[in-house]
Amino acid sequence: MEVVPRSPAEKTEAIPPCQVACPIHQDVPGYLAAIAQGNFGEALRLIKDTNPLPSICATICAHPCEAECRRGQVDEALSIRALKRAAVDFGCSPTPPAPAPRGERVAIIGSGPAGLTAAHDLARLGYQVTVFEREAILGGALAQFVPLYRLPRDRIQGDIEGIRALGVEFRTDSALGRDFTVAELKGRGYRAVLLGLGLPLSRSLPLPGFDMKDVWPALPFLRDANLYGRRIQPGKTVIVIGGGNVAIDVARSALRAGAARVRLVCLESPEEMPAFPWEIKEAAEEGVEINCSWGPKRILGEDGQVTSLETVAVKAVFDDQGRFNPTFYEDRTAIFEGDIVIVAIGQAADLSCLKDSDIQVTERGQLIFDPVTLATTAEGVFTCGEVATGPGTAVKAMASGRQAALSIHRYLQGEPLTKVEEPQPLGKLDQGVTAAVIRQERQPVPLLEVAQRIRNFDYIDLGYAVETAVREARRCLSCGAGARRVEDKCIDCLTCVRVCPYEVPVVTPATSVDIRADQCQACGICVMECPARAIAFGSSRFEDMERELEQAMAKVTPGGATPPRLVLFYCYYGVNAPPGLADFLKANITPGVALVKVPCLAKLGVPYLLKAFELGANGVLIVDCGDRECIYAQAALWVRRRMESARRVLEGLGLRKEQIELVCLPEERFQDLGERMSSFSQRLGELVH
Amino acid sequence: MIKGEQKPLPEIQGMIAPYKRVLVLGCGTCVTVCFVGGEKEVAGLASALRLHQRLSKGDKIIEEATVKRQCEREFLAEVARQIQSVDAVLSLACAIGVQAVAECFPTVPVLPGVNTSFLGLIEEPGKWSEVCAACGDCILHLTGGICPITRCAKSLFNGPCGGSVGGKCEISPDIPCAWQLIYDRLAATGRLHLLEEVRPPREWKSFSAAGPRRIVREELRVPAEDEKIRPKG
Amino acid sequence: MKAGTNLERVLESGAFAVTAEVGPPKGTSPRVVERKGEMLKGYADALNVTDNQTAIVRMSSFASCVLLKHLGVDPVMQIVCRDRNRIAIQSDVLGAVALGIGNFLCLSGDHQRFGNHPTAKNVFDLDSIQLIHTLRTMRDEGKFLCGEDISGEVPLYIGAAENPYADPFEFRVTRLAKKIRAGVDFIQTQAVYDVPKFARWMEMVAERGLDQKVHILAGVIPIRSAGMARYMRDYVSGVSVPDEIVRRMEEAREAKEEGINIALETIEQLKEIPGVHGIHIMAVGWEDSVPLIVERAGLLPRPIV
Repeated sequence: MEVVPRSPAEKTEAIPPCQVACPIHQDVPGYLAAIAQGNFGEALRLIKDTNPLPSICATICAHPCEAECRRGQVDEALSIRALKRAAVDFGCSPTPPAPAPRGERVAIIGSGPAGLTAAHDLARLGYQVTVFEREAILGGALAQFVPLYRLPRDRIQGDIEGIRALGVEFRTDSALGRDFTVAELKGRGYRAVLLGLGLPLSRSLPLPGFDMKDVWPALPFLRDANLYGRRIQPGKTVIVIGGGNVAIDVARSALRAGAARVRLVCLESPEEMPAFPWEIKEAAEEGVEINCSWGPKRILGEDGQVTSLETVAVKAVFDDQGRFNPTFYEDRTAIFEGDIVIVAIGQAADLSCLKDSDIQVTERGQLIFDPVTLATTAEGVFTCGEVATGPGTAVKAMASGRQAALSIHRYLQGEPLTKVEEPQPLGKLDQGVTAAVIRQERQPVPLLEVAQRIRNFDYIDLGYAVETAVREARRCLSCGAGARRVEDKCIDCLTCVRVCPYEVPVVTPATSVDIRADQCQACGICVMECPARAIAFGSSRFEDMERELEQAMAKVTPGGATPPRLVLFYCYYGVNAPPGLADFLKANITPGVALVKVPCLAKLGVPYLLKAFELGANGVLIVDCGDRECIYAQAALWVRRRMESARRVLEGLGLRKEQIELVCLPEERFQDLGERMSSFSQRLGELVH
Repeated sequence: MIKGEQKPLPEIQGMIAPYKRVLVLGCGTCVTVCFVGGEKEVAGLASALRLHQRLSKGDKIIEEATVKRQCEREFLAEVARQIQSVDAVLSLACAIGVQAVAECFPTVPVLPGVNTSFLGLIEEPGKWSEVCAACGDCILHLTGGICPITRCAKSLFNGPCGGSVGGKCEISPDIPCAWQLIYDRLAATGRLHLLEEVRPPREWKSFSAAGPRRIVREELRVPAEDEKIRPKG
Repeated sequence: MKAGTNLERVLESGAFAVTAEVGPPKGTSPRVVERKGEMLKGYADALNVTDNQTAIVRMSSFASCVLLKHLGVDPVMQIVCRDRNRIAIQSDVLGAVALGIGNFLCLSGDHQRFGNHPTAKNVFDLDSIQLIHTLRTMRDEGKFLCGEDISGEVPLYIGAAENPYADPFEFRVTRLAKKIRAGVDFIQTQAVYDVPKFARWMEMVAERGLDQKVHILAGVIPIRSAGMARYMRDYVSGVSVPDEIVRRMEEAREAKEEGINIALETIEQLKEIPGVHGIHIMAVGWEDSVPLIVERAGLLPRPIV
């Protein structure tokens, strides 16, 4: 396992937009395809390949991938985050082998998502990594500030254990500047130091009344609620100032902590609020009052007790250049009555730990570093995470940790610290393509009922059931996995142009036929119909069908078995994918039946049907999931045509066309398969003897 | 392009019956385009023949290969060793390819797996029609770009016979009357006067008149030994 | 006179001509031809003998014509381009002339697909217009197609068919003009049932003055039964049988009688159309209806010219 911080940028080809949008460029189509086949273990393995915090991401990832998902052009984006959750919940993947150790030691300050990612990547490269965490618990902001109802702590623990298993050493209650210095670390043999210091301080506002006792900063409130079960006195009204994700977290936590009423007040209009829309929606469902376009002016009180927040109407939050520069209608004010004000308007770094070090900080107190290499001004000292990138998502912090790990690796190996090229996304789907893609509704992610949610800090996301996850994953358009023209075999016969249901192959003056990889839906019809066999799949997951058939036949052929031997080809997506049904299938297989799974029957060509007979089958049963289940246009048509072609060959050889049959078994009728199979076997027996 | 159809399996089985090791040889040009002799069809036929061996408990060995164009010696050279190692070649090329293989490999029996049907045009996927008879004396300029020799069932030269009704040929409602098509094309291009002229009996240059034809272009031929100009010295 | 046959003499005299068709047997008996010839003798000015009509093998038109000639009937030898090339055809014409045959009808010929040898290879070395051209060359220039001289006279009266009901309709008159230019002397048309359409065609023929250059004999096929009417309407390409005629045949108490009535009514109408110089009765397998029709149409006695 040599190169861990995998950089898809090494490929020149454009890659699926979900994968590009993901800051750590996970193989989204890969793991979705595995889930669509019911193979949650493989999905988890693929996730872990690039993601050191699978459980955390499966739970709280802001999923920028979904915003770019091209199914969004057709109906709705794939529910990728929830599918990752399903992979984590239902999958089990073996720990990868330990890397060959290198001598160099690296110290990482901070165990947030950035530090953990860097620790993971460096450990997998063989470095001796120690993570220093100043708090008593690991996980940084994730452990301290992210509310429990969004992220159960056992998920953090699970991911950290995975990293610990790579040989990473963790030291809690070890604060830079308090317990040790960078110089001391270097003196102890750490060849590189990575500062993942996060943004642990809450910003406040220099306005009248903000010094009152019941005006609280956001982050300490969240930490106390998470770690110490902090409650709010019953009957109190809480005013939350801010429109970002932290403000929402605060508001929802305050509700759960016992507030009678939570009123969120923010500068932004509903469209401008920086919080994620689904977070805002869930908060509103839970009863948080959201008051947009009001700017705080002062907090009013009596006897040191907060009574209300006075605000002015916002004219605009941003100026012409789009910079944050709010302006107000001074004459329009509003008073929000409440007992407690929690200020969630921003976070800041705590760089006091760098005092007396050679790590330079700007006059405004910001760390100086190279944005490409993340190197600070001190030799061998790098930075990552929010302290470098500013406030952002966990996965963005992870990407920064990965970038830093790569820089440290290069630094330690004496390689130049150059920029990693970002991959290019596949473009939008053409209208012709989207029109032909079969609509399939997104499976909703089940949540706890609102009434149940607000009573406590229980995790609210119930996650997909196995079947729902499979069905949802099946919606993936397999962007980029589709057909590739093999140039030296293609004779420009135009068959692909004529059979593609999506009008993806086009005739161009430059290349004769261009199978537009960025548009291809990977159904496989052209691959099987190409008379020159000059089309290959872009993904290896479709290529091993012949071997699959041979292996399946090898299992059933030994001895001169008297019952007719039959091959059952079935689509391993959709209906047949949930492990329960796969088990049913296996359990109901009579001796002498070879099960061959096909990644959609559109990929089952005539040669495979004949090959089954060539390898000793007496009959072939094709199990079609029915048009309603299949995501591919025309797959059912082609499988029937090919069956007829193969039947004609059988008849030409003196066999009977009835030796190939097709049964259409939609999901609800799947239990009929056993009966259909035995009746086919029986008919076959009569035919053959 | 040349269009063909695969021969029926029983006929093919009969042809290969005397041979043990048979090479199914595909051709990557015309017959690939019409789905009778490309790599995919070679695989399908070879598979069917092997299946037949299994059913009949035969011991034939069926090999597969596909070359770019069987009608060119240079491409055949790529599989020369394999051809010489088998007892017979079952060619899925057109008759031109079959004969090229026969000529290049005088000691190896070559069997046609394909019936060469015609020079044709794809109407739509799965439908091809004959449009040229290679008569050697093209008159398409007189007939609106539609060949009456090929597309009129009676190869008439002077307009439709009395069986043309509703644009269809009398021999089948599936066949358009070529002369109706010609009439329409010439009407559309303002050249109906071409149909007024009596076309006299034709001086045929096709096979049936001229016997085996050959085109010789001296300027394209490989220079003979004594024609070659060599640098002095 | 080009050939001096009876048909030519009658047409040139300006009389309304009558020809009829004789189908030769699928066998060797000369009596079949002779019986038909004897039956029709005196009722028609010339008798056509079909040349393997609908591509079903029968006694040759050539031999049958010779048999008719012996009875003193003026035969019209039909020649199709389907079965013989220019060598065979020119040879047959020489022989036919030698045996006293003077009328020739030049046809493309029905496609062999409908005959009893559907997988035969056809010839079509010439088409019907080129065949007319060939015969005219033989007669007027005394030469074969190749330009070599023919010894002796080649007196031929050259006929051809035309189908006013085939498509493209507008081209049908052009095609007739081409046949005339190629050298045709008389035309026998496809059977007429739809008289108005035929009249329209004749108008177009007259507009180009073609009726002055060729003798047109309108085709008449008496219908024997309602089934035959339906069959001709639905399956015989190039024949147009109006539904009215089918209905009449279906409703008739005596179908044969009704068929003859229809033929007679048609003939009455045809006589009135300018440029129609006669009728050609094709009573396929019902030759004995011909004397009746000719008699009841008032076309007897046949002129002696």
